[in-house]
Amino acid sequence: MSASVTGLLKPWTPRVFLVRWSRYNPYYLEPEPRKDLYSIPESELTAEQKEERDLKAVRPIKAATSGVTSSPFDDPVLSKFITMMMKDGDKVLARGIMTQTLESIKRNQVEKYHKAPEGKRDEIECNPYAIFHQALEHCKPVIGLASIQKGGKFYQVPIPLTDNRRRFMAMKWLITECRDNKHRRTLMYEKLSQEIMAAYDKEGNVIKKKHELHKMAESNRAYAHYRWW
Amino acid sequence: MAMQGVTAFHQKVSRMLSRQEKKPILKPNKPLALKDEVANRKMKKGEATCVTEISILMTCWKQNNFVEAMCSNEMKSFYSCVEKAQAEMKENSKQEAIGKGARLTPKLANTLLKKYPNMRIEI
Repeated sequence: MSASVTGLLKPWTPRVFLVRWSRYNPYYLEPEPRKDLYSIPESELTAEQKEERDLKAVRPIKAATSGVTSSPFDDPVLSKFITMMMKDGDKVLARGIMTQTLESIKRNQVEKYHKAPEGKRDEIECNPYAIFHQALEHCKPVIGLASIQKGGKFYQVPIPLTDNRRRFMAMKWLITECRDNKHRRTLMYEKLSQEIMAAYDKEGNVIKKKHELHKMAESNRAYAHYRWW
Repeated sequence: MAMQGVTAFHQKVSRMLSRQEKKPILKPNKPLALKDEVANRKMKKGEATCVTEISILMTCWKQNNFVEAMCSNEMKSFYSCVEKAQAEMKENSKQEAIGKGARLTPKLANTLLKKYPNMRIEI
């Protein structure tokens, strides 16, 4: 009986805390998950890095998200792609699809490697991560279009894009292309591996989309002066 | 001497507002007092940056039928131009936020006026 009475004397704290739209105080710094930056000896640090370390010693640091690891296999670009592919918060499924994609890319490349004659074997890239990065580079647009209003009408004006925007556009095109324009019964990892291989060879619908954007920008080059930044 | 000038100004304004002699010259719909803030003025519109780089890149594309392997030099110069322009804009905005730019922005003027507001109550 005394246990229940002491339980009632506790101050009331809510069991559920609202977290979705909460934000860290801007005073907090980003965490650095990569191990190799911490193993540099004192003497080889540049002045900037020394300053950063001193700052990190006095400031609070945000908690690392669960998608970030300190392993050498952690790739921020790949993590971003997996997050973009994710549906309904199912990161496990999205990551599984990505690993299957990389595996199927590797299998195709190794098959090609073994079938190829001796002279051509050096040219075949077998690392699926390298292929993914190269394909993404090929998909990134150089210049984008913005809808700018002038004199009552809206014009599509060519504008330079930030690196983040270009990476996002490339990833988004890859994913939407795989989701919409493929045969219904193929699995996502198959569709993705086909698209990534095609983008690596600079063929396929994503590259076509990029070229169409470039052509639109080129046709609207006269409106480039409508930009004010 | 300043006080005399101030009171003379008040008398003139009250004469303009009064209905005793003729029709009142002023019919203010808002109180005749200065506000503690400045209105936001239209920023002078800048110009488009890197337009020459864009046009060079586009002529190269047109000539090579949008194959990107041939235009790598133009693309590199375009990217460097864009980086420079972005760095410059960031610098300018930082300088303006401190107050070392060419003009006093309405934001800065408002913060200053808030620090030293007008007297609302006569002591």
